[in-house]
Amino acid sequence: VLPILFDGIVQGLQLSLLAVGITLIYGLGGVLNLAHGQFAIVAGVAAALLLQLGFGPVAASLGGIAGAGLLGLAVDRTLMLPAYRYRGEERLLLGLILTLGFSFIVDGTLNWKFPEFSLSFQLKVPLVEFAGIPMRTASLAASAVALAIFAALFAFLKLTLTGKSIRSIIENEVGAELCGIDPARTRTLIVCLAAMMAGVAGVTQGLFSSLGTEMGPEFTILGLLVAVVGGVRSINGTLAAGILLGIVNAFASHYVGAYVAYIILLSFAMATILVRPSGLLARFT
Amino acid sequence: MKSIAGLTVVLALVPAAASGSPYYMRLATLALVYMAWTVAFNLIFGHTKQLFLCLNALAGTAGYVAVVLALQLKLSPWITVPVGVAAAAGLGALFSYVSVLRGLGVIFLGIVTLAFSLIFHNLVLGLRQLTNGETGLVTRGLGFPLLEQPVPGYYIFLAVLVGALVLYQRLMSSKSGMAFRALSDDELTAELSGIDVTWYKVLAAAVASAILGLTGALFAFYNGIVSPSVFSFVGIDIPVLIALLLGGMRTRLGPVLGAAAFALLEELVRPWGQLNVLVYGVLLIVLFTTFREGLAPVLEKAWRAVRRQRSNVVLSQINVGADGKRTMSRTRM
Repeated sequence: VLPILFDGIVQGLQLSLLAVGITLIYGLGGVLNLAHGQFAIVAGVAAALLLQLGFGPVAASLGGIAGAGLLGLAVDRTLMLPAYRYRGEERLLLGLILTLGFSFIVDGTLNWKFPEFSLSFQLKVPLVEFAGIPMRTASLAASAVALAIFAALFAFLKLTLTGKSIRSIIENEVGAELCGIDPARTRTLIVCLAAMMAGVAGVTQGLFSSLGTEMGPEFTILGLLVAVVGGVRSINGTLAAGILLGIVNAFASHYVGAYVAYIILLSFAMATILVRPSGLLARFT
Repeated sequence: MKSIAGLTVVLALVPAAASGSPYYMRLATLALVYMAWTVAFNLIFGHTKQLFLCLNALAGTAGYVAVVLALQLKLSPWITVPVGVAAAAGLGALFSYVSVLRGLGVIFLGIVTLAFSLIFHNLVLGLRQLTNGETGLVTRGLGFPLLEQPVPGYYIFLAVLVGALVLYQRLMSSKSGMAFRALSDDELTAELSGIDVTWYKVLAAAVASAILGLTGALFAFYNGIVSPSVFSFVGIDIPVLIALLLGGMRTRLGPVLGAAAFALLEELVRPWGQLNVLVYGVLLIVLFTTFREGLAPVLEKAWRAVRRQRSNVVLSQINVGADGKRTMSRTRM
């Protein structure tokens, strides 16, 4: 039982990393990003290309993550502009369609350019004993990276002035604007950061198993489910929901099979929206 | 009604133009299927602003229920198709009712229905003993023999499309049409002026889901095989959304025009293989940002302009010989 639990937590942290970007972009930009998984894939593909060019694994990973960040920057500054002109429901709908369209463009381009692509780092990963369970060092390293990123994110939001202004925009965009905060610049920063966090999740996926160009929609859906269960505006809710769903998924896949596990996750998200639309856990930004 | 009759005549002539080529007949039939689906989606999304991202699952539920019941219980398709349609209509009504009850916005209804679409997909894959998983079930010889021949099959789907359009027209020209218009402008105001918003939203969702289901069930038999890829999200929901945007939301003939234009477009990009996904993405973005009105209003305006010019020509001819009174009244038009 314990190895399944740990496996679930390791996967869950990656899910949180993916979902927290959706949460941030939704909270701050008022856009539900349906191309989020594609950022992860782009990072993975970029990392693999850099590996082929002869860069080391660490440099390639960082390069891939930076690539996802650049793509996020470009999307925010060009594609999303029509959506940002509106507010509320209208912006949500337009943002949803625009990001859905963008996800198809990314999927189509990647499938066309790299049809038989898969990224996996051929690293020698020794097994270590952790709390009496054999674990792959890669899993431990990925989890440590995810936790470090979350710690940095919390510190950034709580302690720095930029972080505080981000939280104020999530609270009330018009109010923050009246206090002299520029929502557009903060938004760009957040979209960039969110894309990079998705990039980390994508590159880590390459560490565990392999990453294919067709996995974008799956990543987006998983991130979306976690963000919804965590309450699409709450960051630590997303972290908790990711770990929870990771564990649920690990146990369900082990005992009842992958299809039923996926159906359980989906029903979980559906039930959350219907019963507690603000998220399973108390709202706290 | 006149425009529906005109459209029916035009579409009825298609088999003659295709001169019995099975390839073109199949393309034309597929276009009819997408037209019917888009008419249904226009009711749900266009008129009552409910973003259903589970068109594939609704059509697929009806399709799989009809086929599996016919296979397992050896029932006639005359019984199983209505059962499938009822299942789809019930599910659509349920989603609509729950979303009104819980006050879900466009986005949350979108996520709930998207989750349902994925649940449907995984259920079909998981219930292997009933659905045969990814491979799917062979439906040839199982349904209506007439449906499997190219030309009669085409006319059956044409009948379904015309039925859907007439039903749409009846709804829109009755009290419910007024309610749809009111609630798509402002739901709260509609509710305050005594319109039962819940009832009309559920009605629109149920009727549209029934149309989706009927077309889906018949398509399952027509196609010769049902598999998860026949009722996929990218294969149904995205094309229908694009067709509706292309043709024009909240218009009578927009869905038909849009689906026809989309079918043509897809035939054009077919040689490039995998690139159709990329084209879908570009289309979604371009249509939603620059062409929100759609084809139908543009064509209607052009048609009116042509008619005005023509009647001007007629008027100047009348002016020469006919009585002035009549000319005056015509000029004022």
